[in-house]
Amino acid sequence: MIRYLRLYGYFLRFSVSRAMEFRFDFFFRIGMDMLWYAHHLAFFWLLYRHTPLLGGWNLDQLLVFSGGMFLVDAIQMTMTANNTWMLPIYVNKGDPDYYLVRPVSSLFFLSLRDFAANSFINFLMAVGLFAWALARYPGPLGAGAIAMYVGLLLLGTLLHWSLHMIFILPVFWLHTSGGLREVFWSLDRYTQRPHGIFTGWVRRVLVSLLPFALIVSYPTTALFNGLTWTLFLHIAGAAAAAFLVLVWIWKRGLRVYASASS
Amino acid sequence: MNVFWSFAGVEARKRMSYRVDFWVNAVVSFVTELGVAWFIVLAMFAGGGRVGDFSREGMLLYFVAIILGSRIVRSADLEWAIADDIYNGALSRYLLYPANFVVLKYATQIGALLPVLIQIVLFGAWVPFVLGIPEGIHVTPATAAMCLGALAVANLLHFMTCLPLQLVAFWADNCWSLLVAHRIVASFLGGLLLPLSLFPSWSQTALAALPFRYLFAFPVDVLLGRVSPVEYVAGLAVAVLWCGIFAGISAAIWRRGTLQYTGVGM
Repeated sequence: MIRYLRLYGYFLRFSVSRAMEFRFDFFFRIGMDMLWYAHHLAFFWLLYRHTPLLGGWNLDQLLVFSGGMFLVDAIQMTMTANNTWMLPIYVNKGDPDYYLVRPVSSLFFLSLRDFAANSFINFLMAVGLFAWALARYPGPLGAGAIAMYVGLLLLGTLLHWSLHMIFILPVFWLHTSGGLREVFWSLDRYTQRPHGIFTGWVRRVLVSLLPFALIVSYPTTALFNGLTWTLFLHIAGAAAAAFLVLVWIWKRGLRVYASASS
Repeated sequence: MNVFWSFAGVEARKRMSYRVDFWVNAVVSFVTELGVAWFIVLAMFAGGGRVGDFSREGMLLYFVAIILGSRIVRSADLEWAIADDIYNGALSRYLLYPANFVVLKYATQIGALLPVLIQIVLFGAWVPFVLGIPEGIHVTPATAAMCLGALAVANLLHFMTCLPLQLVAFWADNCWSLLVAHRIVASFLGGLLLPLSLFPSWSQTALAALPFRYLFAFPVDVLLGRVSPVEYVAGLAVAVLWCGIFAGISAAIWRRGTLQYTGVGM
Protein backbone atom coordinates (compact mmCIF):
# COMPACT_ATOMS: atom_id res chain seq x y z
CA MET A 1 0.00 0.00 0.00
CA ILE A 2 2.83 2.40 0.94
CA ARG A 3 4.51 1.56 -2.36
CA TYR A 4 1.35 2.49 -4.28
CA LEU A 5 1.00 5.76 -2.35
CA ARG A 6 4.61 6.65 -3.13
CA LEU A 7 4.03 5.79 -6.76
CA TYR A 8 0.94 8.00 -6.80
CA GLY A 9 3.09 10.81 -5.37
CA TYR A 10 5.38 10.48 -8.39
CA PHE A 11 2.33 10.57 -10.70
CA LEU A 12 1.27 13.86 -9.04
CA ARG A 13 4.69 15.51 -9.38
CA PHE A 14 5.04 14.49 -13.01
CA SER A 15 1.48 15.53 -13.93
CA VAL A 16 1.74 18.95 -12.29
CA SER A 17 5.05 19.79 -13.96
CA ARG A 18 3.71 18.67 -17.33
CA ALA A 19 0.47 20.66 -16.90
CA MET A 20 2.45 23.85 -16.32
CA GLU A 21 4.20 23.39 -19.68
CA PHE A 22 0.90 23.55 -21.57
CA ARG A 23 -0.46 26.77 -20.14
CA PHE A 24 -3.15 27.42 -22.77
CA ASP A 25 -4.82 24.10 -22.09
CA PHE A 26 -4.41 24.62 -18.36
CA PHE A 27 -6.66 27.70 -18.42
CA PHE A 28 -9.01 26.50 -21.16
CA ARG A 29 -9.99 23.51 -19.09
CA ILE A 30 -10.56 25.56 -15.95
CA GLY A 31 -12.81 27.88 -17.97
CA MET A 32 -14.67 24.94 -19.47
CA ASP A 33 -15.49 23.43 -16.09
CA MET A 34 -16.56 26.81 -14.70
CA LEU A 35 -18.99 27.16 -17.59
CA TRP A 36 -20.29 23.67 -16.93
CA TYR A 37 -21.01 24.51 -13.28
CA ALA A 38 -22.62 27.83 -14.22
CA HIS A 39 -24.86 26.39 -16.91
CA HIS A 40 -25.98 23.60 -14.62
CA LEU A 41 -26.96 26.00 -11.84
CA ALA A 42 -28.65 28.36 -14.30
CA PHE A 43 -30.61 25.47 -15.83
CA PHE A 44 -32.12 24.48 -12.49
CA TRP A 45 -32.64 28.10 -11.46
CA LEU A 46 -34.69 28.60 -14.63
CA LEU A 47 -36.66 25.40 -14.06
CA TYR A 48 -37.59 26.44 -10.54
CA ARG A 49 -38.95 29.75 -11.81
CA HIS A 50 -41.73 27.65 -13.31
CA THR A 51 -42.21 24.86 -10.79
CA PRO A 52 -41.83 24.69 -6.99
CA LEU A 53 -40.73 21.04 -6.91
CA LEU A 54 -38.81 18.77 -9.23
CA GLY A 55 -38.94 15.09 -8.45
CA GLY A 56 -39.98 15.95 -4.87
CA TRP A 57 -37.07 18.34 -4.24
CA ASN A 58 -37.19 22.11 -3.86
CA LEU A 59 -34.49 24.46 -5.15
CA ASP A 60 -32.45 24.34 -1.91
CA GLN A 61 -32.32 20.55 -2.04
CA LEU A 62 -31.55 20.60 -5.75
CA LEU A 63 -28.60 22.91 -5.12
CA VAL A 64 -27.20 20.48 -2.56
CA PHE A 65 -27.66 17.70 -5.13
CA SER A 66 -25.83 19.86 -7.70
CA GLY A 67 -23.01 20.53 -5.23
CA GLY A 68 -22.63 16.78 -4.72
CA MET A 69 -22.60 16.23 -8.46
CA PHE A 70 -19.93 18.89 -8.98
CA LEU A 71 -17.81 17.20 -6.32
CA VAL A 72 -18.08 13.76 -7.93
CA ASP A 73 -17.40 15.22 -11.36
CA ALA A 74 -14.40 17.23 -10.12
CA ILE A 75 -12.84 14.19 -8.45
CA GLN A 76 -13.13 12.11 -11.58
CA MET A 77 -11.99 14.98 -13.83
CA THR A 78 -8.93 15.45 -11.63
CA MET A 79 -7.96 11.87 -10.94
CA THR A 80 -9.20 9.63 -13.72
CA ALA A 81 -10.64 11.55 -16.71
CA ASN A 82 -7.36 11.97 -18.62
CA ASN A 83 -6.58 8.30 -18.10
CA THR A 84 -9.97 7.01 -19.17
CA TRP A 85 -9.74 9.25 -22.24
CA MET A 86 -6.35 7.84 -23.24
CA LEU A 87 -6.93 4.20 -22.36
CA PRO A 88 -8.56 3.12 -25.67
CA ILE A 89 -5.80 4.90 -27.58
CA TYR A 90 -3.15 3.08 -25.54
CA VAL A 91 -4.84 -0.28 -26.09
CA ASN A 92 -5.13 0.22 -29.83
CA LYS A 93 -1.49 1.33 -30.07
CA GLY A 94 -0.13 -1.46 -27.88
CA ASP A 95 1.08 0.88 -25.15
CA PRO A 96 -0.07 -1.30 -22.23
CA ASP A 97 3.00 -3.46 -22.99
CA TYR A 98 5.07 -0.97 -21.00
CA TYR A 99 2.82 -1.28 -17.97
CA LEU A 100 2.21 -5.02 -18.04
CA VAL A 101 5.88 -5.75 -17.40
CA ARG A 102 6.05 -3.48 -14.33
CA PRO A 103 5.73 -4.90 -10.82
CA VAL A 104 2.52 -2.96 -10.01
CA SER A 105 -1.11 -3.40 -10.93
CA SER A 106 -1.54 -2.37 -14.59
CA LEU A 107 -5.10 -1.25 -13.82
CA PHE A 108 -3.80 1.05 -11.07
CA PHE A 109 -1.08 2.42 -13.31
CA LEU A 110 -3.21 3.07 -16.37
CA SER A 111 -6.14 4.46 -14.35
CA LEU A 112 -4.30 6.94 -12.16
CA ARG A 113 -0.99 7.85 -13.78
CA ASP A 114 -2.19 11.21 -15.16
CA PHE A 115 -3.42 13.62 -12.50
CA ALA A 116 -5.14 16.66 -14.09
CA ALA A 117 -3.58 19.60 -12.28
CA ASN A 118 -5.85 22.09 -14.06
CA SER A 119 -8.94 20.21 -12.96
CA PHE A 120 -7.64 20.31 -9.42
CA ILE A 121 -8.39 24.07 -9.51
CA ASN A 122 -11.93 23.11 -10.51
CA PHE A 123 -12.00 20.59 -7.71
CA LEU A 124 -11.37 23.44 -5.27
CA MET A 125 -14.20 25.39 -6.91
CA ALA A 126 -16.48 22.37 -6.67
CA VAL A 127 -15.67 22.06 -2.97
CA GLY A 128 -16.56 25.75 -2.59
CA LEU A 129 -19.88 25.32 -4.40
CA PHE A 130 -20.62 22.19 -2.38
CA ALA A 131 -19.94 24.07 0.87
CA TRP A 132 -22.03 27.03 -0.33
CA ALA A 133 -25.01 24.77 -1.19
CA LEU A 134 -24.83 23.10 2.22
CA ALA A 135 -24.38 26.40 4.08
CA ARG A 136 -27.41 28.04 2.44
CA TYR A 137 -29.65 25.01 3.00
CA PRO A 138 -32.32 26.19 5.45
CA GLY A 139 -32.85 22.86 7.25
CA PRO A 140 -30.64 21.42 10.00
CA LEU A 141 -27.70 19.42 8.61
CA GLY A 142 -25.31 18.16 11.27
CA ALA A 143 -21.59 17.54 10.79
CA GLY A 144 -22.20 13.80 11.06
CA ALA A 145 -24.79 13.86 8.29
CA ILE A 146 -22.49 15.89 6.05
CA ALA A 147 -19.58 13.51 6.71
CA MET A 148 -21.87 10.59 5.86
CA TYR A 149 -22.91 12.42 2.66
CA VAL A 150 -19.29 12.96 1.61
CA GLY A 151 -18.55 9.29 2.31
CA LEU A 152 -21.47 8.17 0.17
CA LEU A 153 -20.40 10.54 -2.60
CA LEU A 154 -16.96 8.94 -2.57
CA LEU A 155 -18.64 5.56 -3.00
CA GLY A 156 -20.64 7.17 -5.82
CA THR A 157 -17.39 8.34 -7.39
CA LEU A 158 -16.02 4.80 -7.29
CA LEU A 159 -19.25 3.57 -8.88
CA HIS A 160 -19.08 6.27 -11.55
CA TRP A 161 -15.49 5.47 -12.46
CA SER A 162 -16.18 1.72 -12.50
CA LEU A 163 -19.16 2.18 -14.82
CA HIS A 164 -17.10 4.46 -17.06
CA MET A 165 -14.35 1.86 -17.32
CA ILE A 166 -16.85 -0.94 -17.94
CA PHE A 167 -18.05 0.98 -20.99
CA ILE A 168 -14.51 1.68 -22.19
CA LEU A 169 -12.97 -1.76 -21.77
CA PRO A 170 -14.88 -3.36 -24.66
CA VAL A 171 -12.16 -1.65 -26.72
CA PHE A 172 -10.13 -4.84 -26.13
CA TRP A 173 -12.62 -6.66 -28.35
CA LEU A 174 -14.12 -3.92 -30.53
CA HIS A 175 -10.90 -1.99 -31.38
CA THR A 176 -12.98 1.16 -31.84
CA SER A 177 -11.64 4.57 -30.91
CA GLY A 178 -13.31 4.67 -27.52
CA GLY A 179 -15.04 1.38 -26.74
CA LEU A 180 -18.59 2.29 -25.77
CA ARG A 181 -17.56 5.63 -24.27
CA GLU A 182 -20.16 7.63 -26.18
CA VAL A 183 -22.84 5.32 -24.80
CA PHE A 184 -21.57 5.96 -21.28
CA TRP A 185 -21.58 9.72 -21.76
CA SER A 186 -25.14 9.56 -23.02
CA LEU A 187 -26.28 7.49 -20.05
CA ASP A 188 -24.35 9.71 -17.66
CA ARG A 189 -27.00 12.38 -18.24
CA TYR A 190 -29.12 10.37 -15.79
CA THR A 191 -26.50 11.04 -13.09
CA GLN A 192 -27.05 14.78 -13.52
CA ARG A 193 -30.78 14.76 -12.82
CA PRO A 194 -32.52 13.93 -9.52
CA HIS A 195 -33.79 10.36 -9.58
CA GLY A 196 -37.17 11.49 -8.26
CA ILE A 197 -38.20 12.73 -11.69
CA PHE A 198 -37.91 9.25 -13.16
CA THR A 199 -40.76 6.78 -12.84
CA GLY A 200 -41.63 3.17 -13.67
CA TRP A 201 -39.10 0.82 -15.21
CA VAL A 202 -36.66 3.63 -16.04
CA ARG A 203 -36.31 4.35 -12.34
CA ARG A 204 -35.86 0.65 -11.54
CA VAL A 205 -33.15 0.31 -14.18
CA LEU A 206 -31.36 3.40 -12.84
CA VAL A 207 -30.99 1.85 -9.39
CA SER A 208 -30.13 -1.67 -10.53
CA LEU A 209 -28.82 -2.60 -13.95
CA LEU A 210 -27.45 0.86 -14.82
CA PRO A 211 -27.13 2.36 -11.33
CA PHE A 212 -26.54 5.99 -12.34
CA ALA A 213 -29.09 7.18 -9.77
CA LEU A 214 -26.93 5.76 -6.97
CA ILE A 215 -23.98 8.03 -7.75
CA VAL A 216 -25.34 11.35 -6.43
CA SER A 217 -29.13 11.14 -6.12
CA TYR A 218 -29.27 8.37 -3.53
CA PRO A 219 -26.54 9.90 -1.31
CA THR A 220 -28.48 13.19 -1.45
CA THR A 221 -31.67 11.35 -0.48
CA ALA A 222 -29.77 9.85 2.46
CA LEU A 223 -28.72 13.35 3.55
CA PHE A 224 -32.29 14.67 3.57
CA ASN A 225 -34.21 11.59 4.69
CA GLY A 226 -31.59 9.88 6.85
CA LEU A 227 -29.37 6.93 6.03
CA THR A 228 -30.83 3.48 6.43
CA TRP A 229 -28.86 0.24 6.31
CA THR A 230 -30.80 -0.76 3.20
CA LEU A 231 -29.79 2.42 1.42
CA PHE A 232 -26.15 2.13 2.50
CA LEU A 233 -25.92 -1.51 1.45
CA HIS A 234 -27.58 -0.66 -1.85
CA ILE A 235 -25.01 2.04 -2.71
CA ALA A 236 -21.99 0.20 -1.31
CA GLY A 237 -23.10 -3.10 -2.88
CA ALA A 238 -23.55 -1.50 -6.29
CA ALA A 239 -20.13 0.23 -6.06
CA ALA A 240 -18.41 -3.00 -4.99
CA ALA A 241 -20.20 -5.06 -7.64
CA ALA A 242 -19.34 -2.57 -10.39
CA PHE A 243 -15.69 -2.52 -9.30
CA LEU A 244 -15.51 -6.33 -9.29
CA VAL A 245 -17.10 -6.50 -12.72
CA LEU A 246 -14.57 -3.93 -13.91
CA VAL A 247 -11.64 -5.97 -12.57
CA TRP A 248 -13.08 -9.12 -14.14
CA ILE A 249 -13.47 -7.43 -17.54
CA TRP A 250 -9.97 -5.96 -17.23
CA LYS A 251 -8.47 -9.42 -16.67
CA ARG A 252 -10.48 -10.89 -19.55
CA GLY A 253 -9.46 -7.98 -21.73
CA LEU A 254 -5.76 -8.46 -20.99
CA ARG A 255 -6.13 -12.10 -22.01
CA VAL A 256 -7.28 -11.12 -25.52
CA TYR A 257 -4.95 -8.11 -25.72
CA ALA A 258 -2.47 -8.73 -28.51
CA SER A 259 -0.09 -5.80 -28.10
CA ALA A 260 0.34 -3.33 -30.97
CA SER A 261 -1.82 -5.36 -33.31
CA SER A 262 -4.87 -4.91 -31.05
CA MET B 1 -18.23 22.72 -56.54
CA ASN B 2 -17.34 19.24 -57.82
CA VAL B 3 -14.48 19.04 -55.33
CA PHE B 4 -16.87 20.11 -52.55
CA TRP B 5 -19.32 17.31 -53.33
CA SER B 6 -16.50 14.79 -53.80
CA PHE B 7 -15.26 15.50 -50.28
CA ALA B 8 -18.82 15.33 -48.96
CA GLY B 9 -19.35 11.98 -50.73
CA VAL B 10 -16.15 10.46 -49.35
CA GLU B 11 -17.10 11.49 -45.82
CA ALA B 12 -20.64 10.12 -46.22
CA ARG B 13 -19.28 6.74 -47.33
CA LYS B 14 -16.80 6.72 -44.46
CA ARG B 15 -19.53 7.44 -41.92
CA MET B 16 -21.78 4.72 -43.27
CA SER B 17 -18.99 2.14 -43.06
CA TYR B 18 -18.85 2.23 -39.24
CA ARG B 19 -22.38 0.96 -38.89
CA VAL B 20 -22.62 -0.99 -35.63
CA ASP B 21 -20.65 1.51 -33.58
CA PHE B 22 -22.53 4.39 -35.16
CA TRP B 23 -26.00 3.00 -34.66
CA VAL B 24 -25.45 1.83 -31.09
CA ASN B 25 -24.24 5.30 -30.16
CA ALA B 26 -26.98 7.01 -32.15
CA VAL B 27 -29.85 5.01 -30.64
CA VAL B 28 -28.61 5.18 -27.02
CA SER B 29 -27.81 8.86 -27.32
CA PHE B 30 -31.22 9.73 -28.78
CA VAL B 31 -33.18 7.59 -26.33
CA THR B 32 -31.22 8.94 -23.35
CA GLU B 33 -31.37 12.58 -24.37
CA LEU B 34 -35.06 12.38 -25.10
CA GLY B 35 -35.69 10.28 -21.99
CA VAL B 36 -34.10 12.82 -19.66
CA ALA B 37 -35.92 15.73 -21.33
CA TRP B 38 -39.19 13.77 -21.28
CA PHE B 39 -39.04 13.12 -17.53
CA ILE B 40 -38.02 16.71 -16.82
CA VAL B 41 -41.09 17.89 -18.74
CA LEU B 42 -43.36 15.44 -16.91
CA ALA B 43 -41.94 16.64 -13.57
CA MET B 44 -42.43 20.30 -14.55
CA PHE B 45 -46.05 19.67 -15.49
CA ALA B 46 -46.77 17.49 -12.45
CA GLY B 47 -49.07 20.21 -11.13
CA GLY B 48 -50.94 20.44 -14.47
CA GLY B 49 -51.65 23.64 -16.41
CA ARG B 50 -49.17 25.39 -18.71
CA VAL B 51 -45.54 26.33 -18.30
CA GLY B 52 -44.74 29.59 -20.04
CA ASP B 53 -46.49 29.41 -23.41
CA PHE B 54 -46.29 25.62 -23.60
CA SER B 55 -48.75 22.83 -22.90
CA ARG B 56 -47.17 19.56 -21.75
CA GLU B 57 -47.54 17.90 -25.17
CA GLY B 58 -46.32 21.07 -26.88
CA MET B 59 -43.14 21.07 -24.81
CA LEU B 60 -42.58 17.35 -25.42
CA LEU B 61 -42.89 17.98 -29.16
CA TYR B 62 -40.47 20.90 -28.82
CA PHE B 63 -37.86 18.63 -27.21
CA VAL B 64 -38.28 15.85 -29.78
CA ALA B 65 -37.90 18.39 -32.59
CA ILE B 66 -34.92 20.19 -31.07
CA ILE B 67 -33.05 16.99 -30.20
CA LEU B 68 -33.47 15.72 -33.76
CA GLY B 69 -32.78 19.14 -35.29
CA SER B 70 -29.62 19.57 -33.23
CA ARG B 71 -28.17 16.48 -34.91
CA ILE B 72 -28.49 18.13 -38.29
CA VAL B 73 -27.01 21.36 -36.99
CA ARG B 74 -24.09 19.77 -35.18
CA SER B 75 -23.29 17.09 -37.75
CA ALA B 76 -19.61 16.28 -37.08
CA ASP B 77 -19.67 18.02 -33.72
CA LEU B 78 -16.78 17.80 -31.27
CA GLU B 79 -14.46 16.10 -33.70
CA TRP B 80 -12.02 19.04 -33.86
CA ALA B 81 -10.87 17.83 -37.30
CA ILE B 82 -9.48 21.25 -38.25
CA ALA B 83 -7.57 21.61 -34.97
CA ASP B 84 -6.15 18.10 -35.43
CA ASP B 85 -4.99 18.87 -38.97
CA ILE B 86 -3.22 22.00 -37.79
CA TYR B 87 -1.66 20.38 -34.77
CA ASN B 88 -0.53 17.23 -36.57
CA GLY B 89 0.77 19.06 -39.61
CA ALA B 90 -1.82 17.45 -41.91
CA LEU B 91 -2.85 20.95 -42.97
CA SER B 92 0.22 21.06 -45.24
CA ARG B 93 -1.25 18.79 -47.91
CA TYR B 94 -4.45 20.84 -48.00
CA LEU B 95 -2.40 23.97 -48.59
CA LEU B 96 -1.16 22.35 -51.79
CA TYR B 97 -4.66 21.59 -53.06
CA PRO B 98 -6.17 24.10 -55.47
CA ALA B 99 -9.12 24.54 -53.10
CA ASN B 100 -9.90 26.37 -49.89
CA PHE B 101 -9.10 24.30 -46.77
CA VAL B 102 -12.07 25.60 -44.76
CA VAL B 103 -14.51 24.96 -47.62
CA LEU B 104 -13.23 21.38 -47.94
CA LYS B 105 -13.70 20.88 -44.20
CA TYR B 106 -17.25 22.19 -44.47
CA ALA B 107 -17.83 19.71 -47.30
CA THR B 108 -16.72 16.98 -44.91
CA GLN B 109 -19.27 18.20 -42.37
CA ILE B 110 -21.99 18.11 -45.03
CA GLY B 111 -20.97 14.55 -45.94
CA ALA B 112 -21.26 13.52 -42.30
CA LEU B 113 -24.92 14.56 -42.48
CA LEU B 114 -26.06 11.55 -44.52
CA PRO B 115 -26.28 9.03 -41.67
CA VAL B 116 -27.72 11.78 -39.46
CA LEU B 117 -30.53 12.36 -41.93
CA ILE B 118 -31.32 8.64 -41.90
CA GLN B 119 -31.46 8.83 -38.10
CA ILE B 120 -33.84 11.77 -38.21
CA VAL B 121 -36.24 9.92 -40.48
CA LEU B 122 -36.13 6.73 -38.39
CA PHE B 123 -36.25 8.38 -34.96
CA GLY B 124 -38.76 11.05 -35.95
CA ALA B 125 -41.22 8.79 -37.76
CA TRP B 126 -43.11 7.86 -34.59
CA VAL B 127 -43.71 11.44 -33.45
CA PRO B 128 -46.95 12.20 -35.33
CA PHE B 129 -48.48 8.94 -34.09
CA VAL B 130 -47.54 9.36 -30.42
CA LEU B 131 -47.74 13.08 -29.83
CA GLY B 132 -49.95 14.24 -32.69
CA ILE B 133 -50.10 18.00 -33.13
CA PRO B 134 -50.79 19.58 -29.73
CA GLU B 135 -52.97 22.64 -29.27
CA GLY B 136 -51.17 25.89 -30.10
CA ILE B 137 -48.71 24.19 -32.48
CA HIS B 138 -49.12 24.72 -36.22
CA VAL B 139 -46.91 22.43 -38.29
CA THR B 140 -47.64 22.84 -42.01
CA PRO B 141 -45.75 22.04 -45.24
CA ALA B 142 -44.82 25.74 -45.36
CA THR B 143 -43.32 25.77 -41.83
CA ALA B 144 -41.49 22.50 -42.61
CA ALA B 145 -39.97 24.05 -45.74
CA MET B 146 -39.02 27.21 -43.86
CA CYS B 147 -37.49 25.03 -41.13
CA LEU B 148 -35.25 23.29 -43.69
CA GLY B 149 -33.89 26.68 -44.73
CA ALA B 150 -33.29 27.65 -41.11
CA LEU B 151 -31.54 24.32 -40.45
CA ALA B 152 -29.23 24.81 -43.44
CA VAL B 153 -28.21 28.24 -42.16
CA ALA B 154 -27.90 26.86 -38.60
CA ASN B 155 -25.56 24.10 -39.81
CA LEU B 156 -23.32 26.68 -41.46
CA LEU B 157 -23.51 28.95 -38.41
CA HIS B 158 -22.49 26.09 -36.12
CA PHE B 159 -19.49 25.37 -38.30
CA MET B 160 -18.55 29.06 -38.36
CA THR B 161 -18.86 29.51 -34.58
CA CYS B 162 -16.56 26.52 -34.00
CA LEU B 163 -14.04 27.58 -36.64
CA PRO B 164 -12.19 30.34 -34.71
CA LEU B 165 -11.96 28.02 -31.71
CA GLN B 166 -10.43 25.27 -33.83
CA LEU B 167 -7.94 27.71 -35.33
CA VAL B 168 -6.57 28.37 -31.85
CA ALA B 169 -4.68 25.11 -32.53
CA PHE B 170 -2.10 27.26 -34.33
CA TRP B 171 -0.97 28.35 -30.87
CA ALA B 172 -2.37 25.88 -28.33
CA ASP B 173 -1.62 22.19 -28.22
CA ASN B 174 -5.08 21.25 -27.15
CA CYS B 175 -8.23 23.24 -27.79
CA TRP B 176 -10.84 20.54 -27.23
CA SER B 177 -11.88 22.21 -23.98
CA LEU B 178 -12.80 25.34 -25.96
CA LEU B 179 -15.08 23.27 -28.17
CA VAL B 180 -16.66 21.60 -25.16
CA ALA B 181 -17.21 25.06 -23.67
CA HIS B 182 -18.83 26.11 -26.95
CA ARG B 183 -21.10 23.09 -26.78
CA ILE B 184 -22.16 23.92 -23.21
CA VAL B 185 -22.94 27.56 -24.00
CA ALA B 186 -24.63 26.78 -27.31
CA SER B 187 -26.82 24.07 -25.75
CA PHE B 188 -27.95 26.35 -22.96
CA LEU B 189 -28.37 29.64 -24.78
CA GLY B 190 -29.57 27.87 -27.93
CA GLY B 191 -32.63 26.41 -26.23
CA LEU B 192 -31.53 22.80 -26.35
CA LEU B 193 -31.87 22.31 -22.61
CA LEU B 194 -34.91 24.50 -22.07
CA PRO B 195 -37.13 26.57 -24.39
CA LEU B 196 -35.83 30.13 -24.54
CA SER B 197 -39.29 31.51 -23.80
CA LEU B 198 -38.84 30.18 -20.24
CA PHE B 199 -35.85 32.49 -19.74
CA PRO B 200 -36.58 35.78 -17.91
CA SER B 201 -38.05 38.58 -20.01
CA TRP B 202 -35.00 40.79 -19.37
CA SER B 203 -32.79 38.29 -21.19
CA GLN B 204 -34.94 37.93 -24.33
CA THR B 205 -33.38 40.82 -26.27
CA ALA B 206 -29.87 39.50 -25.66
CA LEU B 207 -30.91 35.95 -26.59
CA ALA B 208 -32.35 37.23 -29.87
CA ALA B 209 -29.16 39.14 -30.68
CA LEU B 210 -26.70 36.35 -29.84
CA PRO B 211 -25.98 33.64 -32.45
CA PHE B 212 -26.93 30.65 -30.29
CA ARG B 213 -30.71 30.94 -30.68
CA TYR B 214 -30.34 30.50 -34.44
CA LEU B 215 -28.54 27.19 -33.97
CA PHE B 216 -31.32 25.20 -32.33
CA ALA B 217 -34.38 27.06 -31.03
CA PHE B 218 -35.07 29.16 -34.10
CA PRO B 219 -35.44 26.30 -36.63
CA VAL B 220 -37.72 24.43 -34.21
CA ASP B 221 -39.83 27.50 -33.47
CA VAL B 222 -40.17 27.94 -37.23
CA LEU B 223 -41.28 24.31 -37.65
CA LEU B 224 -43.84 24.59 -34.85
CA GLY B 225 -45.35 27.73 -36.40
CA ARG B 226 -44.21 30.01 -33.57
CA VAL B 227 -42.41 32.45 -35.89
CA SER B 228 -44.07 34.89 -38.31
CA PRO B 229 -42.71 35.33 -41.88
CA VAL B 230 -41.22 38.71 -40.92
CA GLU B 231 -39.52 37.23 -37.85
CA TYR B 232 -38.28 34.37 -40.02
CA VAL B 233 -36.55 36.67 -42.49
CA ALA B 234 -35.14 38.80 -39.64
CA GLY B 235 -33.88 35.65 -37.87
CA LEU B 236 -32.16 34.34 -40.99
CA ALA B 237 -30.59 37.75 -41.54
CA VAL B 238 -29.16 37.78 -38.00
CA ALA B 239 -27.83 34.23 -38.45
CA VAL B 240 -26.18 35.09 -41.78
CA LEU B 241 -24.73 38.24 -40.22
CA TRP B 242 -23.17 36.14 -37.45
CA CYS B 243 -21.76 33.76 -40.09
CA GLY B 244 -20.08 36.77 -41.68
CA ILE B 245 -18.72 38.02 -38.35
CA PHE B 246 -17.25 34.62 -37.50
CA ALA B 247 -15.85 34.28 -41.02
CA GLY B 248 -14.07 37.63 -40.56
CA ILE B 249 -12.67 36.60 -37.16
CA SER B 250 -11.57 33.24 -38.57
CA ALA B 251 -9.87 34.88 -41.57
CA ALA B 252 -7.89 37.14 -39.23
CA ILE B 253 -6.83 34.22 -37.04
CA TRP B 254 -6.00 32.13 -40.12
CA ARG B 255 -3.73 34.86 -41.52
CA ARG B 256 -1.79 35.19 -38.27
CA GLY B 257 -1.76 31.44 -37.64
CA THR B 258 -0.46 30.40 -41.06
CA LEU B 259 2.42 32.89 -40.66
CA GLN B 260 3.85 30.76 -37.89
CA TYR B 261 2.64 27.35 -39.09
CA THR B 262 5.63 25.04 -39.45
CA GLY B 263 3.93 22.12 -41.16
CA VAL B 264 5.66 19.46 -39.12
CA GLY B 265 3.19 19.13 -36.30
CA MET B 266 3.07 21.86 -33.70
